[in-house]
Amino acid sequence: MSTVTIDKSGPTRKVKYGSMSRDRTWALRWSYFFLTLFAIFSLVPPFYMLITSLKSSAEISAATNPWWVYHPTLSNYVELLTSNQFLRFFWNSAWVSIIVVTITMLISVPAAFALARMKFWGSATLATGVFLTYLIPDSLLFIPLFKMFAVFGDWTGIQLVNRWYVLLFIYPTLTVPFCTWIMIGYFASIPKELDEAAIIDGASWFQTLTRIFIPVALPGLIAATIFAFTVSWAQFLYPLVFTTSTDQLVLPVGIITTLIKGDVFNWGQIMTGALLGAAPPLIIYAFLMDYYIAGLTAGATKG
Amino acid sequence: MSRKKLSRREFVAATALSSAALITAPYVRGAYAAGKLSMGFWDHWVPGANSASTELVNEWAAKEKVEVQLDYITSQGNKNIVTIAAEAQAKSGHDIFQMPTWWPQSNAELLEPVNDIMDPLIKLNGDVNGTVKYLGQADGKWLGVPASVGSQIKGPCSRIDLMKKYANIDVQEMYPAGSAPKADNWTLDTFLKAAEACHKAGFPFGIGLGETSDNVDTAGAIFQSFGAQLVDAKGNLTVKTDAVRQSLEFYKKLLAFLPPDVAAWDDASNNKWLVAGKGAMIMNPPSAWAVAKRDAPQVAEQCWTHGFPAGPKGRFAPYLPFFWSIWSFSKNKEAAKSLLSYLSQPASIEKMVVASGGYDLPAYEKLTTLKVWEEVGPPKGTLYHYPNPFKHQTLSIAASPAPPKVAQQIYFQATLTKMCLRYYQGEAMEKTLAWAEGECEGFMRS
Amino acid sequence: MVDVALQSSRTATAQAGRKRAGLRNALRRKSMSAFLMTLPLILLIAVLVIYPALYSLHLATLNKAMTKFVGFGNFEFLFKRETFWLVVKQSCIFAISAVVFKALIGFIVAHFVHNVPANKQRKWRGMLLVPWVIPPAMSTLAWLWLFDPSYSAFNYTLSFFGLGPIPWTGDAMWARFSVILVNVWYGAPFFMIMYLAALKSVPEQLYEAAAIDGANWWQRIWYVTLPMMRNIIAITTLFSLIVTFANFDIVRILTAGGPLDHTHIFATWAFRVGIEGSDIPLGASVSLFMVPILAVAAIFILRDITKRGNES
Repeated sequence: MSTVTIDKSGPTRKVKYGSMSRDRTWALRWSYFFLTLFAIFSLVPPFYMLITSLKSSAEISAATNPWWVYHPTLSNYVELLTSNQFLRFFWNSAWVSIIVVTITMLISVPAAFALARMKFWGSATLATGVFLTYLIPDSLLFIPLFKMFAVFGDWTGIQLVNRWYVLLFIYPTLTVPFCTWIMIGYFASIPKELDEAAIIDGASWFQTLTRIFIPVALPGLIAATIFAFTVSWAQFLYPLVFTTSTDQLVLPVGIITTLIKGDVFNWGQIMTGALLGAAPPLIIYAFLMDYYIAGLTAGATKG
Repeated sequence: MSRKKLSRREFVAATALSSAALITAPYVRGAYAAGKLSMGFWDHWVPGANSASTELVNEWAAKEKVEVQLDYITSQGNKNIVTIAAEAQAKSGHDIFQMPTWWPQSNAELLEPVNDIMDPLIKLNGDVNGTVKYLGQADGKWLGVPASVGSQIKGPCSRIDLMKKYANIDVQEMYPAGSAPKADNWTLDTFLKAAEACHKAGFPFGIGLGETSDNVDTAGAIFQSFGAQLVDAKGNLTVKTDAVRQSLEFYKKLLAFLPPDVAAWDDASNNKWLVAGKGAMIMNPPSAWAVAKRDAPQVAEQCWTHGFPAGPKGRFAPYLPFFWSIWSFSKNKEAAKSLLSYLSQPASIEKMVVASGGYDLPAYEKLTTLKVWEEVGPPKGTLYHYPNPFKHQTLSIAASPAPPKVAQQIYFQATLTKMCLRYYQGEAMEKTLAWAEGECEGFMRS
Repeated sequence: MVDVALQSSRTATAQAGRKRAGLRNALRRKSMSAFLMTLPLILLIAVLVIYPALYSLHLATLNKAMTKFVGFGNFEFLFKRETFWLVVKQSCIFAISAVVFKALIGFIVAHFVHNVPANKQRKWRGMLLVPWVIPPAMSTLAWLWLFDPSYSAFNYTLSFFGLGPIPWTGDAMWARFSVILVNVWYGAPFFMIMYLAALKSVPEQLYEAAAIDGANWWQRIWYVTLPMMRNIIAITTLFSLIVTFANFDIVRILTAGGPLDHTHIFATWAFRVGIEGSDIPLGASVSLFMVPILAVAAIFILRDITKRGNES
């Protein structure tokens, strides 16, 4: 996707209208200047996380230059990465995110296929409805959901509150509508002749989906997967409400509720935790930036 | 060091052995042997203090052959309160939960009465103070066992050097280690003058006015020393009284001498303030000093914990007890009771107090003069007056003596500090009072 | 009832063999298999989104102990509370100003990125999008530490210019500013990337034509860029408005609503009242107040979608 657009913007630079070329060099310089400013603004917090994570708590409390490390140490990293509690948070987060991504794909891909291709009674309404549920925020639902699961536990004896797997039920409400929406867009852009030919050849709908649509819409699928992963990795409100025991926590909530202790400030460790918590999405982003952006913009350009 | 600790523990244990046996004996029935017990304890702020409770619980578990699961839950960001609310709603969770101050009362219907262990414990360890009774008892029913862990007095922790230099107050002379305080002149007026002097010198007192407990506790004690209550013991609104007005006036004067952003302070801010060497005094239990000992020893050497300044209606110190409560949905109540009484034996209590560097305050009368408070340092004797050994100040909690369920809201919603801030920021006195009255009316909602 | 159920299942097994062929045919039928494919989605949304939304309406009519029906009692109670109106006001200030700044900064930065040579765009885009990639709970922690009363790195830097110390989270106005700043920092890259995509979809010929007509820079933006981007701007803004309006983590971590409740917004106040204060009905009532705003946004978006649907 991005390659296409880059090609498009290529010719613009060749167009020259006398004095406009001087304007352009100035415009370019100003652009670089402001981009640098904005880039600094964007990168200050992560940079500061990194700096602080390399300091010992004695150095932090000595209140030396906050932007520089005089005695860099990896002790915060060692301490966190050998702490059972922290690893537990990390694994909880990883498991929750991976399972949620799987569930999301299993639900949204067939649904998107059906909604994009197999027009049936109410399918248009349903497609719009799916989109609208994306607009119902977590902060509206957390209280009723919390009470619902408590009541459910009362009735059935199956306890879901304060179990990490309760998140497997809740997170899909955040990921599925948007992923379905992305996939509808991608599937809709596939030429109708393809699946019509397949159906005439005797393929079932399911085969059409797995053999034709999924391979063709793979970029969209990757974008949706990344989206689902980052959303479940970053969620904060639901795990804060639903899980409390330290062995049930996911990373963001774990860091914020157990590393920050009232009277002891171990900010070196907190920043280390925050950095490690930010690492998986950052790594994915570093390698799959184009897919990431495609997934992000899919909502606007296609939906 | 650990050996020394052990030997004293054994000594105390021996003296208490006979009575201890009497208390624990009835529960050793084996009915819960090999059962399970989970507990959510308060995550201690003093580095390393959790280990003593972990050890004690494990000792007990090994003896009783009970499988235990021990969680430490911090109170930062109200994590423990959220957890209590979640477990109360879900009617499931830990068997024992260490609840702060008001929370046993607010969950009274969901807690197992523990009179059967409290009565013998009081006989063994001495009576408990009035605040513990106010918070821990409903209609004669004990809602939990007062936990020594985490229970604290939040008196002043002053910098000896700065107070001497700028405020001309020798805190060590006023509260000498090993003997009774000579603090008759230590009043709110003196305090205010010292605050002014230190502010001028660039080392303002670090007293927060945020919404967390440290801030509310200080305000509570000052309000009480003016005799100010928002709601009285019978549940009547008493916001619009002169005592409340006086307290607000006092706070208005004090606030001018505090750091500019105290409105955003939480329980960690005052500690950071002290440890960073930026202020001459904070109102906090010795955890700040303990952290300073680790990270900024030159600051720790100058710290002195002492009594609260007295106001027109007496000398009050903020006291913040914790309780170990047993949820009524617990499936192993007998084991829970056995553990709690094990943890409340004098030897266990002393072990925990020592591990917390003297931070923890046992609720029982006979246990307020442990050696640890004399010994820890540097400077030696810095904690001698922390446990209020001469009973020269009244231990109380903010918003008392209002009915606990209302008081809890006043406390948790930080109505006191919010009032002070509103008035300080230029709101008319009567408007602030009217606002507070409206809030208190709202808190009576059932 | 149990009997009936048994009965039907028995007949079902009896007929299973005969039915299997029929079932296969039915699956072949488009609408049946389409329905089955969307069933998990429908169930998920019905059980975990629509039901709780309706359930919160029910909760909002109960008393604190959830033992009796009080009708609009909770709303009456809320309307009398000063804090509630403060929260309403702040949510609006927060959402609107944050979205305006995000949109502005996003628009400007997108232009700058669009200006630089294509082969360098990727690098800039990569750096500028980082705030959006980091989980907001984690990055807000960094901000919290940057704003710390005793150790603020900003105040440290400002002190060299003889400024400060600024009570970043201590003073009501500064705290609101800080909360909005962090939100803008986090959200602006999203706008940037959206606008960039939109900018690239504007046909170059339009600019050339405008340049030939003698249009200056402003005119080109006003008459070419903005009209072409209108749809994307509208959708992105509405999206962001909803998400910002419902924001929780940034405010919760940075100020937890303080000082003096001056940064509470609907979500954080609902959490404080409903979960921390154990007053679930009141908390549910508070969050229900987001619905009108969300509904307005939804109507606009819906109109847009149907319009687009008709065009295609």
